[in-house]
Amino acid sequence: MIKLEVENLAKWFGPRKVFENISFALTQGESIAIVGPNGSGKSTLLKLLIGFAFPTRGRVVFSDEGKKLDFDSYRRRLALVSPYPALYGSLTARENLDFFARVNGDLVTNEEIDQVLAQVGLEGRGEDFVAAYSSGMLQRLKYAVALLKDPSILMIDEPTSNLDEAGKKIISDLIESRRTKSLIIIATNEKEEYSLAEKLCRLGG
Amino acid sequence: MYYMWWKILIFLAMSGVIILAFATPSPMDPANSLGPADAYRIFYFHVPQSWVASLAFLISMFFSIRFLQTKNMKFDLKAVTANRLGLIFAILAAITGSIFAKTTWGEFWNWSEIREVSIFILLIIYGAYFALRSALPDPDNRATLSAVLSIIFAVSAIFLIFILPRVYPTFSQHPSDSVVDKTGKLTMGPMVSIIFFTSLATFTALFLWIYNLSLKVFKAAEENLLEDI
Amino acid sequence: MPRSSVGWVAKVIAVTRKDIVSEFRTRYALNAILMFALVTLTVISFAVGALEPSKEIMAALFWIILFFAAMSGLAQVFIKEEESGTAMILKLSSEGTVIFFGKLFFNLILLSILAVLIIPLFIVLLKTSPANWGIFLTGVILGIIGLSGATTIIAAIVSKATVKGALFTVLSFPVLMPLLVAVIEITKVAFLGGGYKEVWPPMQLIITYDVVMITLSLLLFDFVWRQ
Repeated sequence: MIKLEVENLAKWFGPRKVFENISFALTQGESIAIVGPNGSGKSTLLKLLIGFAFPTRGRVVFSDEGKKLDFDSYRRRLALVSPYPALYGSLTARENLDFFARVNGDLVTNEEIDQVLAQVGLEGRGEDFVAAYSSGMLQRLKYAVALLKDPSILMIDEPTSNLDEAGKKIISDLIESRRTKSLIIIATNEKEEYSLAEKLCRLGG
Repeated sequence: MYYMWWKILIFLAMSGVIILAFATPSPMDPANSLGPADAYRIFYFHVPQSWVASLAFLISMFFSIRFLQTKNMKFDLKAVTANRLGLIFAILAAITGSIFAKTTWGEFWNWSEIREVSIFILLIIYGAYFALRSALPDPDNRATLSAVLSIIFAVSAIFLIFILPRVYPTFSQHPSDSVVDKTGKLTMGPMVSIIFFTSLATFTALFLWIYNLSLKVFKAAEENLLEDI
Repeated sequence: MPRSSVGWVAKVIAVTRKDIVSEFRTRYALNAILMFALVTLTVISFAVGALEPSKEIMAALFWIILFFAAMSGLAQVFIKEEESGTAMILKLSSEGTVIFFGKLFFNLILLSILAVLIIPLFIVLLKTSPANWGIFLTGVILGIIGLSGATTIIAAIVSKATVKGALFTVLSFPVLMPLLVAVIEITKVAFLGGGYKEVWPPMQLIITYDVVMITLSLLLFDFVWRQ
């Protein structure tokens, strides 16, 4: 069981405070929504949790059965869905999925790729170049990449950005289906997305 | 109070060095020198400046490594400050070296002269380092990447300055190159040695003093901004 | 889902392959490098071709072309990851060493293609050719390995900066200087028709340089990549 402990996390960029006194704990099966207006530091907090930025104070610790995990250990089980393009436009969807799985160390079959494409509502679109995808399709493909990893830690920055009603339904169903298997962290400024998680962490107070 | 004494000492030592550098006979035997023997007096200043420039670079590299180990921003500050001062001394060394070159060998610059090339490389390295820093707005990024760059540059500099001349004897040597000759004895006379080593020590002390001051200034500047919060 | 796992080498190949496929379809970096080399070669031909420069100068000119062409295209491997937004996901999907070597090999392939195309053109346009092809080609191979090996981490550093293109050249130059001096020396000997004994010192230097720089880059790469 993967556990995440955040203790007294604070981040300052020189003299500018982004946030401080952030503490929470999550285990697999639990979820938290990091909320706050734009610019309150949600993406920065996510970066700190992932390990791409250093805290000014406090700690972020991932552990499994009490044993602390270092970056290369938890990286394999962490999937991130971010609002950036995050996919290779000159490759097809299938090639993208295959590449990300392969470079992560997993050999995936075509069936598995088809399955995950279907889960996000992109069945049959595997052979299209990602450059031709609409922003909604792109968002869903990013979830497909995350799903293929079977992540124990799922981090989502702005879960339903670029999605229409149908897309939003697909994604919230998807998150529901992952609830027991993953530790889910969502960053959002949309009130309707708060309900995707049980706990709440407010920034920009 | 204790600090005051150091400042006075440095002042006296530097004054002494400057006066003696010109008052005593030139360090170079006029029979052996190319160009006016007096030009060689610059040796009392140029060599310490080069030395300090290299020292600054080494200090910065040391703090860069410490930063990467600890991720503590104070090491980043120490590394940048060392490089800032190092740049100034490197420019001084390049200028004094150039003046010397002009009066003795007749030209301001010579590409096959390895010491000249070395100081040029050092200047480019400093330039590149600051170019990178100014292109990185995020402080974490800036500190980490410039620390990595420092280390890479240091290793490349070692290749250039030490290994290359051994591979290429076509690189000519600085004329009065050795301070210590093959038997281990100092090649400089006693008077020259005293002035030279005092100058070396004084320049180093000067550097360290300015370094300390700069650190305080930059730290205070940061904290000043923090006061509003 | 139980899956067969992918070994380290296969992961590296996956990265290189992905870059090759992507490059083949868009041809950004390759075009940049080839066009730059062609233009530089043309300018040089116009400027000094008629003057019949000495063999030593030819050797230096050859590497000037390769150096600047490399500067115009080698940083692309990382810059395009940042621009397409895939950098972060990639960082989460693989170890630093896999990415490092994957990109290094890609750049190596890029430079090899460049060399294969530029060498004949150089010989034809400047009406010169190496007296000792063995030494010449060995020099080119060592030089290319050095160019891609030493600049991979610099490319990664530059990809996070704001000015990128010019910065890459500025940062790479001090790092590449030992390599350039040594490799120009080898090429000079190749053009003049010397023997292996003369080029052994610079070759040793380059081999040492390649090993040291690649090892150092590997050690430091994670710091850069994790930003």
